[in-house]
Amino acid sequence: MSDNHIEHPTPKKYVQIAIVLGILTAIEIALYYTEDIVGVFTDPLLIFLAVGKFIIVVGWFMHLRYENKTINRFFVGGMILALILFTIVMVERASANYF
Amino acid sequence: MSSSHSYPHEPTGVETRKLGMWVFLSTEILFFGTLITTFMIFKGSDFPGMKLTDVYDIPFTSISSFILLMSSLTMVLAHNALEANDQEKTRVWLLATAMLGAVFLAGQIYEFTEFYHKGFELTTNIFSSSFYVLTGFHGLHVFIGVVLLLALWGIGQRQKGLTLEGGMNLEFVALYWHFVDIVWIVLFTVVYLI
Amino acid sequence: MTKIIEPSKQNSIFRRPSSETGIWSWITTVDHKRIGIMYGYAAFFFLLIGGLEALILRIQLSQPDNNFLTAAEYNAMFTMHGTTMIFLAIMPISAAFFNYLLPLQIGARDVAFPRLNALSFWIFIFGGAFLYSTFIFGTAGAPEGGYLAEEVGWLGSAPNGGWFGYQPNAGMKYSPGTAMDYWAIGLQILGIASLISAFNFITTIINMRTEGMRFMRMPVFTWMTFAVSFLLAFSLPIIAIALFYVTFDRKFGTTFFLTEGGGDPILWQHLFWLFGHPEVYILILPAFGIVSEVLPTFSRKPLFGYAAIVFAGFGIAFIGFGVWAHHMFASAISPVAQAGFGLSTMVIAVPTGVKIFNWLGTIWGGKLKLNTPMLFSLGFIGMFVIGGLSGVTHSIVPADTQQTDTYYVVAHFHYVLFGGALFGIFSGLYYWFPKVWGKMYNESLGKIHFWLMMIGFNLTFGPMHWLGLQGQVRRTWVYAEETNLQFWNIVVTVGAFIIALSIIVFMINWIFSKRNGEIAPFDPWDARTLEWTIPSPTPVWNFSTAPIVKSLDDFWHTKYSEDEDGRAVRREEADQILLELEEDGLNPSEHIALPNPSYFPIVLASGLPFLGYAVIYKSIPLALIGTVLLLIGAFGWGTEPLEEEIHLDSDE
Repeated sequence: MSDNHIEHPTPKKYVQIAIVLGILTAIEIALYYTEDIVGVFTDPLLIFLAVGKFIIVVGWFMHLRYENKTINRFFVGGMILALILFTIVMVERASANYF
Repeated sequence: MSSSHSYPHEPTGVETRKLGMWVFLSTEILFFGTLITTFMIFKGSDFPGMKLTDVYDIPFTSISSFILLMSSLTMVLAHNALEANDQEKTRVWLLATAMLGAVFLAGQIYEFTEFYHKGFELTTNIFSSSFYVLTGFHGLHVFIGVVLLLALWGIGQRQKGLTLEGGMNLEFVALYWHFVDIVWIVLFTVVYLI
Repeated sequence: MTKIIEPSKQNSIFRRPSSETGIWSWITTVDHKRIGIMYGYAAFFFLLIGGLEALILRIQLSQPDNNFLTAAEYNAMFTMHGTTMIFLAIMPISAAFFNYLLPLQIGARDVAFPRLNALSFWIFIFGGAFLYSTFIFGTAGAPEGGYLAEEVGWLGSAPNGGWFGYQPNAGMKYSPGTAMDYWAIGLQILGIASLISAFNFITTIINMRTEGMRFMRMPVFTWMTFAVSFLLAFSLPIIAIALFYVTFDRKFGTTFFLTEGGGDPILWQHLFWLFGHPEVYILILPAFGIVSEVLPTFSRKPLFGYAAIVFAGFGIAFIGFGVWAHHMFASAISPVAQAGFGLSTMVIAVPTGVKIFNWLGTIWGGKLKLNTPMLFSLGFIGMFVIGGLSGVTHSIVPADTQQTDTYYVVAHFHYVLFGGALFGIFSGLYYWFPKVWGKMYNESLGKIHFWLMMIGFNLTFGPMHWLGLQGQVRRTWVYAEETNLQFWNIVVTVGAFIIALSIIVFMINWIFSKRNGEIAPFDPWDARTLEWTIPSPTPVWNFSTAPIVKSLDDFWHTKYSEDEDGRAVRREEADQILLELEEDGLNPSEHIALPNPSYFPIVLASGLPFLGYAVIYKSIPLALIGTVLLLIGAFGWGTEPLEEEIHLDSDE
């Protein structure tokens, strides 16, 4: 029934992944407090870290890495569509008064 | 035309209900996408009044974020234990996940109350409205998740225990729970840190 | 042949429903065919109501400075006309086709989630009833100092902010009372129904195809269902959140779309049209699918450029997400955005044109049989081209600024959604009538219906182009006599009544043919797709054995072979094959397990209107009733296994 379960990671691996996630979160919080030092790079770095955590949870905990490509395409497709649409809306709203 | 008896047929090899669950989660992206977009647009506007940055408490939220993140670990361990058909461990990890989720929810309620007392109410201004609706919508998802987890735990107490077959089983609840977690990963960054 | 129902095991709380006929069998059914039929009738009922509202509007506009309706009543009528036609008539009538045909076309026994299917139907019914209950419970007060100060009347106690609910007009300040709340929450409930059915259809198409039914062998109607489901799944969440904001603004004092609290009315337009434009394709793509089935059958040729039509359909669906702001050219959006969306609007004409040429290529050189479905499909092509071309004129921003909110726009979208979607739908209703009822419709009445509708339609919406360019504005209940708009307005009103007459002809045809029509052969049109390989009306179990598909238009290739010139020649054994198919289809040799009927979809769905009322009237008891109904439904649903089947045995 549920396919490909043989390849799923072991509990030990899951704990390791969780530790990585914890460290990334710690870096995020640290970045928040060091904003004066890191400067303009803070926000891009924060987004980068969030994307990293997102991918780790989706890929390993949700087993998307091990899933059929139909599911992959669907989820990633929805993600990309949402990003494009909402970026346009945000940019349009931010720039409406200038251009 | 010759015949075969293989109903239901799954030409992609993915289980139908799992596919349905992923389709559901894909549309959830759009739900949260709309909420986040609205929040971002208003966050960037220079409307006068009290802002989130005036009231929030980053250490507190960091801890509750960490708790929700770790609940994903206990969830995946429960899933793993069930794959190995270890009912005892499955129940323990399930309960742990539900508890972590409940702690997160309690934290959110506490946070909302604090903000409210500081004068940051739902109708204070556009910043407070978009904050409460966005995080409240996520909180509702966590709440539903906790209910589902507890329901699963209750089913697990019965004689036959849990399986990975039939209905709304552990695998789908797990997918939902992780999804709620990844949404918070994004929200934590977008709402609090940036 | 007799059917024996084995009593199911009693391990759920309630007795399982077991009746096979009568009202309870319909209320508890999870059979996709019955759900499809119910969708069809419910949607047609709302189509009649929406049509009635249109006639009321037209009576008001037939004379300059008419006082048949007050301004308030007129606002309510056009709002309800638009909302009804889009959400309660055309969308669900498409859902009726999807439900009935999709499993048949891919050789499945049912959809992926039969009970969810029933759930989405009942949510739709409750949503529609909720929206219309505004006429009984709703109030639409007059804004302070506004022109609506005269008496509103019961006809005016309906939502009155337009089907697009522009903010802040639809906000509490300018639309006081509860009517717009009924609108916002009603659409929310209807959206849930569509969203659930979208999950269901996507999963069904991906995973329930029979052996050999590869993606590129699926009928075009199935492809278009697929595209529509994608559009629904990805656009409805956006409007759901936007409506959520509206409800919050109106009921809980937030200011998402109100500038006085820092909100942004243009954001509502963005969110609404992010959904609203895909919605246009949600309405039209099913008709594209129907026409793509009808044309090859009655031209006796394969569909010209199958792959091109499929990809063009998905092209339209994809680009359809990227053109929403052309509804907002007259709003305060940036010129850069205007240019960009103008371009993308021009681009979307390309895949649409590809489809038109493919249909023309299909007809070209075919041996046309001008039966009613074919007439409607041909009418569809003609009318849709007109509507499409006037649509392209909107991509030119300066011209669009002139046309915005005039009858030119009204003419445009009625050519697309009536001349397009509804003509396609009628084509499909006639085409599959024999399959659903096992009877033939009356061909002469069908043709009368077509010609009346064709004439009435063009009389109604053709002159609106001129009226619009002469400056008659939409959504305004009177025009002055000095404007000289009266003549064409009378023509339009006469046309509207001719359409009404044609609908009466259709209903007479439907009722009499269903009762007394000739018995239909099971393949009356010499068709090409799988649904025609089974008896008419479709047996409960659809296919007695799962079909195996070897090519595109497999059924056609079973009946026909090609000679040296590539002409289709009917095989000698074709009639024999048909006889065998009918025999097999009626007498399944094996034990067929079907999902049980269930009470819980309707129980679960009935909770939603209570929650809606609870929000409108801020009533805790109503909220509790709603929640309890939801919980009972969900709990019963969860503890009642689908696998506990009723067995249909065949004993000769």
